[in-house]
Amino acid sequence: MSTIPVILISVASSIATLFIISCGLAIIFGLMRVVNMAHGEFMMIGALTTTALVLRCGFPLWLAILASSCVGAVAGALLEILLVRKIYQRQPLETLLVTFGVSLMMFQVAVDIVGVAPAGIPPPLGSLHVAGYAFPAYSVVLVGAAATILIGLLLIFQSTRYGLLARATAENPEMAQALGVAAHRINMLTFALGCSLSSLGGGLLAPFVSVGPSMGQAYVGQAFMTVVAGGPAFLFGTLWSAVLLGGVSSILAQIFTNLWGITSLFLVAVVLLRFKPLGLSGSWRRNV
Amino acid sequence: MSLSSTSSKLLSLLPQPLLTSLIAAHSRGLLVLPALTIASLSCVPYLSNSLALKLILWISFAICALSLDVVWGRAGIFSFGQTALFGLGGYAYAFVAINVFPLTNETISALLVAGLIGGISAAFLGYFLFYSRLNDVYLSIVTLAVTLILKTVLSSTSGPDFHVGEAYLGGFNGMPSIPGIALPAVFGGHGELGLKPLLTFSVLLISALYFAIARMLEGRLGVIFDGIRSNELRMELLGFDVRRRKLFAFVLGGGIAGIGGGLFAAWGTFINPAIFSLTQAATLVVWVMVGGRGSLLGALIGVVVVQATADAADAIVTEQTPLIVGALLVGMVVAFPAGLVPNLRRLLGLKAQGHRLPRQTADFLEGHRRSAPGKLEVAGLAKRFGGASVLNEVTGAFGDEPVSAIIGPNGAGKSTLFKLLVGHISPDKGRVFLNGKDVSNLPTFERCRRGLGIKMQSPCIFADLTVGQNLELARYGSLNPRPVRYCLDLIELGHLVSTTAGTLSHGQQQWLEIGMLLVQNPTVILLDEPGAGMGDDDKRRTLDLIHRLSTNHTVIVVEHDMALIRALRCPVILLYAGVIFKSGGFDELVTDDEVIDIYLGRRRRVAA
Repeated sequence: MSTIPVILISVASSIATLFIISCGLAIIFGLMRVVNMAHGEFMMIGALTTTALVLRCGFPLWLAILASSCVGAVAGALLEILLVRKIYQRQPLETLLVTFGVSLMMFQVAVDIVGVAPAGIPPPLGSLHVAGYAFPAYSVVLVGAAATILIGLLLIFQSTRYGLLARATAENPEMAQALGVAAHRINMLTFALGCSLSSLGGGLLAPFVSVGPSMGQAYVGQAFMTVVAGGPAFLFGTLWSAVLLGGVSSILAQIFTNLWGITSLFLVAVVLLRFKPLGLSGSWRRNV
Repeated sequence: MSLSSTSSKLLSLLPQPLLTSLIAAHSRGLLVLPALTIASLSCVPYLSNSLALKLILWISFAICALSLDVVWGRAGIFSFGQTALFGLGGYAYAFVAINVFPLTNETISALLVAGLIGGISAAFLGYFLFYSRLNDVYLSIVTLAVTLILKTVLSSTSGPDFHVGEAYLGGFNGMPSIPGIALPAVFGGHGELGLKPLLTFSVLLISALYFAIARMLEGRLGVIFDGIRSNELRMELLGFDVRRRKLFAFVLGGGIAGIGGGLFAAWGTFINPAIFSLTQAATLVVWVMVGGRGSLLGALIGVVVVQATADAADAIVTEQTPLIVGALLVGMVVAFPAGLVPNLRRLLGLKAQGHRLPRQTADFLEGHRRSAPGKLEVAGLAKRFGGASVLNEVTGAFGDEPVSAIIGPNGAGKSTLFKLLVGHISPDKGRVFLNGKDVSNLPTFERCRRGLGIKMQSPCIFADLTVGQNLELARYGSLNPRPVRYCLDLIELGHLVSTTAGTLSHGQQQWLEIGMLLVQNPTVILLDEPGAGMGDDDKRRTLDLIHRLSTNHTVIVVEHDMALIRALRCPVILLYAGVIFKSGGFDELVTDDEVIDIYLGRRRRVAA
């Protein structure tokens, strides 16, 4: 039974990873209802920036990750001002197509800059030993990071003036404007916050996964499924959906292969939506 | 010699009766396609080999674009999964062709299986999508996720374990040496087709598919798809099972995409998981966007324009396909969301193809199958929302009088009762009976089929279809319809029959909706605030219509407007705090002290 702690750690790290992948999208798609297909490419920006800063400029990893989230915020704000702002009122499908186009362009530009398979960075902190099994110590860092992000977002959206304005603006921009809220500025901030979280996620995962221009495509599907399965409560819904999907896929991945893990994540989400079309939090009273 | 002079010479040689029938066929749009097919076939021998090779590829893409155009352009389902179905078709073709070709020396069976697999996969995926009632964006995300999963799964199937007969999946590297298209010996086939015969085959294949799709969408099915794209709720209120219809569109599209995928695999004699990539999914969308959604011809033009542009751009900057496709996608959505063909049509002053009203014959006559007045009963109906009890054991029957009205102050439970009757929400307790049959657990469309006609408060019509098409859709949805022309005259919109319904005035839209109910010939008609937002003249006309409705149907009006209720001169049920508080004639109620208290908000005297 000594394998149980190992399984638990691995499940916790999968759940944390899934939450880290999805939290940026939870804000942009879950809260703002903007279908951001370029979510994965913002993760890619974060991961590429982090590796470049560590390898080329000799930044310590944690500083590089923080810096990459700032790069993501700036890129997100630019995208919002140049393009997304013009299509808030359009049909969600058109937003989807536009951001999809943007994601393809970002992918190609990244390939042109760093090539198809740039060098990565090794996972720091070595490995921990529990009950005779070794696992990377960095996975504990990921769990801690996920918890920090969750608490930070809860504080922002439940206890700050900006958080209240952001939720109000997302729900009813006309009413918010009628009450004197500068909706366009709030929207830009929220969009930038979401993008910076996506980049932060990419930066956090950078030492752990293979980094490259196509990495966004590997995560965008999972992130969307997690947020969609989470339902209207954009933070807790996403959290519980990450727990469910990440848990199931991690256990199946350990019993069978990684392929089963990733496939089961989608299957569980699709079957869940068949029976709860509004997602996990569809019948909850809370909306954060 | 130009094509038109050739054809006019040919025409003059034909005998008169054949000429008349040809002209008749042309007026139904049945001549253009064969002419185009013959013209392009006659070009085949003069093409260079590299161009022929490229054209076959484009034709396989165009088949896939056609399928997305049916699914998205007509039925309004935006799916990223079309490229996955295309890829699955390609893989299916590869499996069957590799295994069967050595035995039978033909691969047409493989092409058919490709279509079949496309259709079956679409049915499987579609069941989860449509029966979960996933809406547009969620649906596209799920289909995208499925596409990505297929890519991951197929990429990790390298090694000797993954094979079907002699066909090895080959993981990321894909499947090489797939036999090309080979006709069975009965059709004069001997081995795989050469390049030019393959092009001929492809042209014939896409023409046949195009012709079949165009014919299918020409009539009733096309209008039903248009209705679903335009207003799903109204389609359900007309008694259509929207989920099943969407599933049908999706399966149809899946089959076509599968055949396209088969041709693609046969063209390259090779297939790999790159077919499931996001770039490919986006390219497919761009073809249809550029050509113009909903125009089959547009899908073909889109493929040619986009692929030619991409090839030209590739000659200048190599290997930048995603950048070009992405930029095209952004540009098209921001600047020309409608696509090329509809914009060209507008520039050339051509109207979009409209559906003509079918000619009505003898059944113009009034008194066509008069429906017996129906009965709607509720027994012990209760509904709570969270902690609030909104309806509390409501019991009553409608149908003894031709018209009855439900009134009540705000918050009395009127809307909840209406939603329960319609079937948009289900009761916590109690039952609903329509003409004596329990319909409590039936979805809305089933109730409508059984004779319930529903008019929502704000006009719920097909805004981008014409008045005539709106009424025609109502006719398709009913088991016992009235002639469209008769109802059109009754609602006095005959002069607007080919006007787009979205451009009608508010009042006209309301009447159109009532007209749709008339066509359906239901037994019980539920009207939710029929006079809402109308001026006095319009209200008078609506009243007149309600009276006419009541000669043949049981009409139940849920209303706020006291003047309208008074003019209806019908029995009134007063709903208050979730129960039937009073019922009786209008004059009786308005002189009742308690009723006045309720409406004036003097709660204390009510309690006393």
